[in-house]
Amino acid sequence: MALRLQALSKSYGGKTVIDALSLEATSGDIVTVFGPSGGGKTVLLRLIAGIEVPESGQVLIDGTDMTYATPDARGIGMAFQNYALFPHMSAYDNVASALTPRKLGESEIRSRVNHIVRLLKIDHVMGHKPRELSNGQKQRTALARALVGAPKILLLDDPLRNVDAKLRYEMRLELPVLLRKFGSTVLYVTQDYKEAMAIGNRIAVLIAGRIVQVATPSEIYDRPATVEVARLFGDPGINLFDVTPDTDGRVAIANAQLSIGAEFASAAGVPCVLGIRPDAITVSQTANGATFPVDVVAETPLNDRSVLLLRTADGKEVLAALPASAAGTTPIGAAHAAFASASALMFDRASGLSIARGARP
Amino acid sequence: MATPRDPGMDHTSTLEKVLRGVALTAIAVFFMFPIFWILLMSLQTNETILRIPPSIVFEPTLSNYTALISGKLTSAAGTLDIAFMHNLWNSILLSTLSVLLALLLGVPAAYAFARFKFRLGEFIAFTLLSFRFAPPLLVLLPLSLIFQYLGLADTYIGLIWVYQLIALPLILWIVRGYFEDISPDIEHAYRIAGHSWLNTFLRIAVPLARPGIAAAGLLAFIFCWNNFIFALILASADKQPVTVGALAFVTASGIQYGQIAAAIVLSVTPTLLLALYAQRYLVEGLSMGAVKG
Amino acid sequence: MTATDATSPPASAAQSPARVRLLPYLLSLPALLVCIGILLPFFTAAYYSLLRWRLNLPAMKGFIGFDNYIAFAKDPAFWNTVYISLLYTVLTVVLELLLGLGIALLLRQSTRLNNFISIMLLLPLMTAPALAALMWKLMTNPNFGILSYFVSLLGVHDFKWGSDPHTALFTVVLVDIWVYTPFIMILLLAGLRSLPKQPFEAAALDGVPWSFVFFRITLPMLLPYIITAVLFRLLDSIQQFDIIYAMTQGGPGDSLVVFQVQAYLMFFQNTNVGKSAAMLMVLWLITNILSNFFIKHWLRLRERAHGHA
Repeated sequence: MALRLQALSKSYGGKTVIDALSLEATSGDIVTVFGPSGGGKTVLLRLIAGIEVPESGQVLIDGTDMTYATPDARGIGMAFQNYALFPHMSAYDNVASALTPRKLGESEIRSRVNHIVRLLKIDHVMGHKPRELSNGQKQRTALARALVGAPKILLLDDPLRNVDAKLRYEMRLELPVLLRKFGSTVLYVTQDYKEAMAIGNRIAVLIAGRIVQVATPSEIYDRPATVEVARLFGDPGINLFDVTPDTDGRVAIANAQLSIGAEFASAAGVPCVLGIRPDAITVSQTANGATFPVDVVAETPLNDRSVLLLRTADGKEVLAALPASAAGTTPIGAAHAAFASASALMFDRASGLSIARGARP
Repeated sequence: MATPRDPGMDHTSTLEKVLRGVALTAIAVFFMFPIFWILLMSLQTNETILRIPPSIVFEPTLSNYTALISGKLTSAAGTLDIAFMHNLWNSILLSTLSVLLALLLGVPAAYAFARFKFRLGEFIAFTLLSFRFAPPLLVLLPLSLIFQYLGLADTYIGLIWVYQLIALPLILWIVRGYFEDISPDIEHAYRIAGHSWLNTFLRIAVPLARPGIAAAGLLAFIFCWNNFIFALILASADKQPVTVGALAFVTASGIQYGQIAAAIVLSVTPTLLLALYAQRYLVEGLSMGAVKG
Repeated sequence: MTATDATSPPASAAQSPARVRLLPYLLSLPALLVCIGILLPFFTAAYYSLLRWRLNLPAMKGFIGFDNYIAFAKDPAFWNTVYISLLYTVLTVVLELLLGLGIALLLRQSTRLNNFISIMLLLPLMTAPALAALMWKLMTNPNFGILSYFVSLLGVHDFKWGSDPHTALFTVVLVDIWVYTPFIMILLLAGLRSLPKQPFEAAALDGVPWSFVFFRITLPMLLPYIITAVLFRLLDSIQQFDIIYAMTQGGPGDSLVVFQVQAYLMFFQNTNVGKSAAMLMVLWLITNILSNFFIKHWLRLRERAHGHA
């Protein structure tokens, strides 16, 4: 196990920031740590790096207890959100600083640095000082510094945050390839769910200092463990309805009784939250037993889709997403919305936890 | 950063301009005149000095300086040995070594205060700060007795140690702020790259704080050089710096006024030059960061 | 944020957190030694002030409690010292404040001339006060002093400057003003230049008279800087030694025996350790009260100054 975190806890001034957190990553695993701001993602990286010390719990790197080891003894590489480049050194010296503590020759260091900066396409700026570089160049220099030592564990703290949009999309494609080439175990922190899904093999969702779910991107999307996880992934956000299913697996939405399938029998009579993603909602002019009446209020394009703003009779707003090809085909005014029961996600209203299909009552 | 003119006077009246010019001239004259005059005196022979009315136009001479530098004063009364050059050397030695020692001791301590919160640090900071305002004699008089007891009286080492009381608080105060201005993540990044704490301190923290360290050092040098009371009490004739030495010079009989002036010029020139060189840092250092400009 | 660093500061390679915690103590050890080097003599002096002890009469050394202090209360020489010290302090601080403020206002605009002048005005401040006193002593020499000459042109002959008890105070205050006014000027100038422009621009637009602007806008905003400067100078002036000693050694007679000069004379001329220590403790008490007030409110003043900057 390349990295194991065991029941880590950290608080600042009485406020718990990391709460009995456990996580494992195998060698070469790329794990994105995703969550809302303030959730503790940066603190987690700092605990692993040795910049902070936990109140309890353990950090194990390759089986060795490194909980209290100093940062220079951990064999990790880290890229900070604000780059943390050394302002008085050239970009080359910044990158080389990760190699100078090892007793390598000058030429050996130079060849390794050149190799990595060529990969990251910043070889032409190595002679400059950090303040002369653009944000993208600074970010890649920081990345180069983290990577050049071929560390066992790579910690990346939202490296694309301050990079302009165009470069960000490019890096989102290049980074996973690069990271896989190096083979380090990677912990990648981001606040952008699309980035989390693009970069990681697995996503660890960190909310309020706790890991709520660790799963592959598709699992997180299709089977979110809590309402919050469902809410965090998806753009536009998931539609949520407060419902209480009856024994037949039907719920009331806008005065219509709709079926969500018999697999949710265990939830009968339990106050729940029903989640339907916008792309699972269809809008048509005809009503049937599986529709509920809505008013089509507006339509706006969003990326490669067209989003309809619907409003039910009791004033609830629902979003439906259509493919761009269907843009403009839905008239404003009264209509009927439906969703496939197979796409329904159910969560216990009190705890927020998802209710699995076919669970025993 | 220009500030707008006083309201109600959109255009400066001629009267205001004249008054302002007169005021500024008067101020400049008042503050610059003594230095200028002493400089003039140092280039005059005794008889020129004693001439009344005092003359601005005269034949300048370097005889006063040569007398001081050569250490010999030939006058009608005979030849006298002047030890003033030795005083100058003492000033240089004491100030330089004191500042170097204070930097050596103070910069790491300033780093500790900047990066760690520990009660001993608060105690030291508070003590040094509160004694910045305490009467020096309160410490010096017992110290003179203690020094006699310890055999440190009238030694360079004793003086350099006592001068730490001047230099160290200044260095701690100024350099601490510069260390605090460095983002801790930069140091963290260097440590993660594999470097020890000491390497991080020497190659990252200190170089980045260099302007502050230089400023503090220069300021401490000026304060040590200008110090009078420490040396008066704890140094005897052959260890005295110029501040005390110049005074002794004046009271010794048979010394010519031109030489006194020359001695004063030699004594103040180093600090005045340093002050001009380091003037940007003086506001901060003088008020010990009391008010950030 | 240094708060987060406190729990795990960078340290030399070690596995246990205990050694990590030692580092700041090691680093500040020399500073601590200096502190001890200050505190030890201080407590020694406090102890001495409770003794009857003259170095030339060692047999009479004995503990007398607060008798030295009580004796002061009845001693006209002590009250003379208090009077002279307070007079000196008030004169120098008030005059330097007024002059420093005036100069700062004149130099407020950041023009090349003004900046040049303010740099040149640094020079008196950087002169050793003892040497400044010497310079003025030469200039006020009755035989060849240029100032004596100037004054004689105004019809005043035989102005005794430092050699006359009636004019000695005036002379040393003059030297003090020459050396220390630039200090106040620098602080106030920095303050003036850091004030926000909007209130002044608004006042100019509204045609507000300058006296209103000065007294109701400028001065209040400048207050933190003024208080800082005044407190610094109060604390330094009441302990003034260099200028007075270099000029007249406290004379003529006892006309200039401010606290530290008096204590010095008591110690070195009369070898009276007990009394000089007591005198210094009284001075320390005064400066301590003042500086405590200052330190306690300093942070608050600094925050206000930051807010304006």
